[in-house]
Amino acid sequence: MNATSVREGQRRFGTGLRLLAHEVTGAGLGEETGYADGVLTVGRREAADLLADPALGAVRVSCASPGDSTRIVKVLDAVEPRCKGQMSGSDGALAGSDGEVFPGLVGPARLCGKGETHVLRGAAVLSAGFLPRAQEAVLQMSGAGAELSPLSAMHNVVIEFEPAPGAPWEEVAAALRLGVLRLAAHLARAASAAAPDSVEELEPPRAGSGELPRVVAVTNIQTQGAFKDVLVYGRSMAGSLPTWIDPCELADGAVVSAQYGHPALKNPTFVHQNNPVVAALRASEEVELAGVVLCPEPVVEFEKRLVSEHAARLVAAVGADGAIVTKEGGGNADGDVALKLDALEDLGIQSVGLFAEMAGRDGTAPGLVVAPTRANALISTGNYDELVRLEACDRALGGERLGIVDAAATDELELPVAAVYGSLNPLGWGRLTCAGEQ
Amino acid sequence: MRIVHYVNQFFAGVGGEEAAGVPPALREGAVGPGRALAALLGPDHEIVATVFCGDDYAASDASASEELMALVRSASPDLLVAGPAFTSGRYGLVCGRLAAASVRAGLPAVASMHPENPGLDEAEPAPVVESGRVGREMRASLERLARAIETLARGEELGEQDGRIGRSPRRNRLAERTAAERGVELLLARLAGDRERTEMPLPSFGSVTPSAPLEDPARARIALLTEGALVPMGNPDRLESARATRWLRYQLEGLDQLEEGAFQSVHGGFSTVAANADPHRLLPLDVARDLAGEGRIGTLHEEYLTTAGNGTQVATARSFGVEWAAELRKAGVQAAILTAT
Repeated sequence: MNATSVREGQRRFGTGLRLLAHEVTGAGLGEETGYADGVLTVGRREAADLLADPALGAVRVSCASPGDSTRIVKVLDAVEPRCKGQMSGSDGALAGSDGEVFPGLVGPARLCGKGETHVLRGAAVLSAGFLPRAQEAVLQMSGAGAELSPLSAMHNVVIEFEPAPGAPWEEVAAALRLGVLRLAAHLARAASAAAPDSVEELEPPRAGSGELPRVVAVTNIQTQGAFKDVLVYGRSMAGSLPTWIDPCELADGAVVSAQYGHPALKNPTFVHQNNPVVAALRASEEVELAGVVLCPEPVVEFEKRLVSEHAARLVAAVGADGAIVTKEGGGNADGDVALKLDALEDLGIQSVGLFAEMAGRDGTAPGLVVAPTRANALISTGNYDELVRLEACDRALGGERLGIVDAAATDELELPVAAVYGSLNPLGWGRLTCAGEQ
Repeated sequence: MRIVHYVNQFFAGVGGEEAAGVPPALREGAVGPGRALAALLGPDHEIVATVFCGDDYAASDASASEELMALVRSASPDLLVAGPAFTSGRYGLVCGRLAAASVRAGLPAVASMHPENPGLDEAEPAPVVESGRVGREMRASLERLARAIETLARGEELGEQDGRIGRSPRRNRLAERTAAERGVELLLARLAGDRERTEMPLPSFGSVTPSAPLEDPARARIALLTEGALVPMGNPDRLESARATRWLRYQLEGLDQLEEGAFQSVHGGFSTVAANADPHRLLPLDVARDLAGEGRIGTLHEEYLTTAGNGTQVATARSFGVEWAAELRKAGVQAAILTAT
């Protein structure tokens, strides 16, 4: 082995992250927050205190578990409960030396993704209710519609809220977002003293080239202003050029959703914490994960091109052979994927794009709004327009009525899959796809 | 079989664009390309009548199909044949709609057009067979159409072998693995040299050649159009904020300005605050009136067309485009400003 390859073999873009997973098999409300034998108890008062903010009025906490005859409507975001290990500094003694989850929001905006992180696996904290520009989402906890969204298989802690009288909606959204993140960290801390059910070592990407093909996850995030934005270390990426990050940073909450449009085509915070493309690349023994390139989705075509060309060059700069490109949002965002696929192919990097189809109710219309011209390897996460029937349920959280179909939130519903929260997930979270009749 | 043939005003020999507004009419026997089609079909089949209509008249309003169907029925046919429409958008749209209306009414039908014609998306459930791209390819197109008619006459369904075109429906289903996992597998296949594999065929949208600039704007009639979902306050006609299935028209006559509070955008894809504060940001009526007053444009078309371009299906949007073009031509409009959001 020559000196160069030794150096490349040793150089890494981080120190790696140890995930300590605590399985959640049940969830309910109680006096005090706790975690025992897989059961998560959410302390009502603690939750209310963590969400207290001048911009928020009354806040209600509920739990909804898989199989419950419950529908959660107007879902805004979903967050996986995580917190940092307390005693995992390099000398084993410095409390809090791993930093904090959700940097730039809950913790200081410092580079994260190292040390230990506790995860409540099988649980999520959801916010649900009205915000401007938020298209109404539905999430079934039981019945046929439940298989459409991975979130239906979670024990969900649901936060409903009233805005404080006169509070600007942007401040309501920010307070809700921060409160939910704080609650998610608080719930994970309740489990952090328990022995983990499993431990996962997340390796950081290596520099240089290895024996396996190197692949980058190119993750486009929506940047369309208030209520349609995504925060990276607490900051909007609107106007930025793409940046490369260590996937371990995602696991610590470096990316937080502030995007409430497109129920099926959004990437909840949960999906950034558990980036499915990153997970699938880690699980493959035939590729080496070469990091994540985060890209804004500008709304102007020449900016889309500029961002796409820069993204492709970043992918090339880390010595990648291939890339998987994903989006957030509707037809406009098809262009962000298509342009990147072509820009990557132009640099000799093989590319695959994930798209939801907009093929009409009968599935006969062209599925893409903007198609690549040089790349052609596409994955379908399902047809947005196809109707789905959701059975009536006993309880609804998040609201009493659904404006999109003008029905009670507990009614039997027929609506486009586009309204089912998380169902067509652009980051490839779900199993839904679309194909011609065989 | 008794056949009624539908053609547009051009192939009926009535005239070109100047005659695109002529209303529906019927002539006995075969006309224009129908004569060549009749010769190919032989003595077992007869084109008993030809129904025709101007493209603008027929394409600007989906209800024109009913007028046309009444004429078709008056000839008591066993089959309706529409086209070939080649890549002509208005003609194809009408052929598709008429064939669909006919099948729905119980009269078998077949249309002929190029796969890129937007009318293809309107023909379901009627079969469409492929034609060439342009009128020069009439002969081969009619030969294929004649064979398809023979197949239908035998009581058989048309299939790919008959040149039948149309997208087969795609349906949602659950895969065994997540989309991300399938993405990794697809990338591995691609890295191994497979350049064809995909889960989704690439759509072909064709391309639009822009018209030549106006020779003299001062003598032109100009229309204002928007996909920004600008509607009168309260959205009286309930335009959808996303996935629009229709478009609407509203009067501008007597209005010099679009007052704040009188109009609103119901578009679901962008923040409408600025547009609602000053609707001219979506529809520049104020400037257009100024320009008309200064004589820099001829006249302003006194109604605007609007829809919501947000998650709208491409096929629907293409049909809107054809309908708007026909509508505006009928109204004598030479140019339009279409604002996008």
